[in-house]
Amino acid sequence: MSEEQVLIQSPLMYRLVRSAEGALFLDVVVGGIAQFTVRVVLTAQEADAYGRLGRPYADRLAMDVMASPAFGGRAIRVP
Amino acid sequence: MSWTIRSLLLGVFLLSGCKHTGGGSVTPTPTQPQACDAQQAQISREADARASPWSVEQHLAKNFPGKKVSWLMTDSAYQNFVVKPNARNFGRCNDSGCYLFAAPSETIQAAVEKSMVDGAHDPAVIGQALGLPAKNFEGPLRMMTLDLAATGVCVRLPVDSDPGVWKCTSEADTDCFKFGGYTSGGVPELMVIDAPVSQAVVTEIP
Repeated sequence: MSEEQVLIQSPLMYRLVRSAEGALFLDVVVGGIAQFTVRVVLTAQEADAYGRLGRPYADRLAMDVMASPAFGGRAIRVP
Repeated sequence: MSWTIRSLLLGVFLLSGCKHTGGGSVTPTPTQPQACDAQQAQISREADARASPWSVEQHLAKNFPGKKVSWLMTDSAYQNFVVKPNARNFGRCNDSGCYLFAAPSETIQAAVEKSMVDGAHDPAVIGQALGLPAKNFEGPLRMMTLDLAATGVCVRLPVDSDPGVWKCTSEADTDCFKFGGYTSGGVPELMVIDAPVSQAVVTEIP
């Protein structure tokens, strides 16, 4: 695998991406009148849960990020 | 739409207008709430009841006299979540609609103009003007502007259950959602439903 692969491009304004190295990460648009993107790399447990539950799990995880953009210190701002 | 329905809507328009003009200088702008579908209208009624004696109509009249709203996105967010997916509407979309926070255009445009130095914006100046952290405005931005009167979109007070709401955890929080029609930084805000991309003016902010 040599390039990023967008697995989900959601109208909820997030996308789930598999990196060239195989890791899964979420890019999520956060904010209200000023919107920007944060990135959260999924843990092994979260990646496993996505594998089992699919898009509804990704939706829920993305909504959790929107509701708490620092996401416990795991989110980094995308330039 | 039949004349009967139009007449009913006009009646609602006039009644709601009279209700809010008696006690002060605020002139209602009652066009938007009537543009909401049944679900959004119900949410709007509940929000107005919670905000009482404030309401979305008073909010529009006092804080959105130009009937235009604006909001900011980083350019990367705009490219990845509006341009690339060829979005029809701005905001976070689910089965019931697309939900967008927006502020008075005058407020956003003044913040941007004030921040421009040597052809580029200063994130700290925009942040201070809008009561938000400067880091939210780093990098190239896009400013979107939508004419509410021309588009006739549904607007209401934002509520806790809206997609993208980021609840405050303390009174000191300045980058989160507080119910009532104002951001935690004190800027008036509205929830716009199904804001059409095709009717927005998009401005690059270097």
